Amino acid sequence: MTREKRAEGMGMTSEDTRAAGAASAGGAGALPFDSTVAHQARMYDYVLGGKDNYKADRDAAEAWLKVDPDAAFTAWANRAFLGRAVGFLAGDVGIRQFLDIGTGIATTDNTHQVAQAIAPASRVVYVDYDPIVLAHARALLTSSSAGATDYVDADLRDTGAILSQAAELLDFTKPVAVTMLAVLHAIPDSDDPHAIVATIMDAVPSGSYLAISHGGSDLIPRATRDGIRGVSNQMQQRIAYRDREEVARFFAGLDLAAPGLVRVEEWRPEPDSRAGRSSAWCAVGRKR
Amino acid sequence: MNTVAPDGEQPFSGLDDPPVDATVLRMLLGGQLRRLREAAGVTPEQAGVAIRGSRSKISRMETGKVGFKVRDVSDLLSVYGVTDEQQRKALLSLARQSRNPNWWTKYSDILPDWFETYLGLESAASTIRSFEMQWVHALFQTEDYARAITELGHKTAPPGEIERRVGLRVKRQELLTKPGPPRIWSVIDEAVLRRPVGGAAVMRAQLTHLLEVAAMPQVTLQVVPLIHGGHAAASGSFTVLRFAELDLPDVVYIEQLTSAIYLDQRADVERYLEVVDQLSGEALTPAATARFIEQVARET
Repeated sequence: MTREKRAEGMGMTSEDTRAAGAASAGGAGALPFDSTVAHQARMYDYVLGGKDNYKADRDAAEAWLKVDPDAAFTAWANRAFLGRAVGFLAGDVGIRQFLDIGTGIATTDNTHQVAQAIAPASRVVYVDYDPIVLAHARALLTSSSAGATDYVDADLRDTGAILSQAAELLDFTKPVAVTMLAVLHAIPDSDDPHAIVATIMDAVPSGSYLAISHGGSDLIPRATRDGIRGVSNQMQQRIAYRDREEVARFFAGLDLAAPGLVRVEEWRPEPDSRAGRSSAWCAVGRKR
Repeated sequence: MNTVAPDGEQPFSGLDDPPVDATVLRMLLGGQLRRLREAAGVTPEQAGVAIRGSRSKISRMETGKVGFKVRDVSDLLSVYGVTDEQQRKALLSLARQSRNPNWWTKYSDILPDWFETYLGLESAASTIRSFEMQWVHALFQTEDYARAITELGHKTAPPGEIERRVGLRVKRQELLTKPGPPRIWSVIDEAVLRRPVGGAAVMRAQLTHLLEVAAMPQVTLQVVPLIHGGHAAASGSFTVLRFAELDLPDVVYIEQLTSAIYLDQRADVERYLEVVDQLSGEALTPAATARFIEQVARET
């Protein structure tokens, strides 16, 4: 799973994000559901061949692909990275607790499916700020009987809500893998995404892991970026791409697992990978 | 999606005139075959040759005017270069559904054609989403609850017919326990829980059953509490069927007193998806729904 929100290529984010975060934090309203405005999660679903998308999403995704034809590969490669990263964390490292922030619309091979295929008792908390995306997660991302899944309706900026609610399922005295795939681009610099990530990683113990993928401003030509900005103006989310150095800073104080910070398709690739060149950086780091 | 025996051709007569009115199913499959053929750059003539038929046979298949032989569909998929096992399986399952002497044909005396179509689609669906305002979803009903509803709808029917109708409904629920069952995601209005169909005892048992069904891994149940006020489903009850095959459109089913409406045009379907998406965001979560139903059961 993992899908949607992580639209790498699709990114964006928005003012709406903030409004929705405030609403869900207060428990009052919900992210206004508007199928006539393109939504990153549903665009991602469309690009990956899903059916949970509306006309506005398809139109925006097609417009995006027109200015950035590599976005389809990036979306696919980002999702494939999720599978390999979670497989590495559950298998090689032996992590049994996952905090998946920016869940997106379910596809196959979602975090809990990958982790529970390796360790059935794995526990996964899915976090998304869109109540409808989260409703899909509750309905479709259901745990094996040996493990457990839970769902937190919160904006990434609301770290207090995320951590307190995740603590109902996860044991924060034991290592936790935090995954934030194709989601941090939705947080503008003015909201200090590095501080947000640091706050979450401060709450987990030594031996915990952080996995991030993020659209790379230094991987996309300027003209393409301008085109993407035009598309993202029609979306609920807007995008803040970051360069390699800015992405690396999310891992301050963490030790990067090999091969370090690379494009998503380069991270421990599998033999049957598709050929292509993505425009997203990724890394997996361990907390000392 | 149903599993399909390898190329099982149904022993079935009248190949060009299937007795089951599976119009929507045939149109779905026909439309998909046409898209695949065009994408492969195969002409109707060439396709006709591949299945020992003519251009007009292809045309009739693609417009849903005839049922499908599983072997024909399998051959066409090969000609169109469709090798993905999942995709083939899904389409062959539809082909079988489109012309099967289905389990419900023995109920044909009490089944209107429009409802047989639904049963065919339901059997082929990978995901069933519904919004229920009046009754508990048919797949979730207890026998007693189903009997009470049937008696309401067929006041003059002899007892034997009532029992056959109830038997049909119970039989239909085997869908829940077959291997590889569809995912069922149902949003129900609180009023459904409060309406003691068949009396308090029947309703209490129904609520208990609902809790059991909701605990099944492939079932998601969400209640929209009355306290929520007006909600998105001003439309009334409806069901959205989704099929595993990527290019098959969703189908919306709306039951009326003497007929049913099927929608498979994208613009129409999306209006309903929008409503059911919105409702699922507004409704109680599955966990809160279970607590809520327990509470209603205590009050019933």
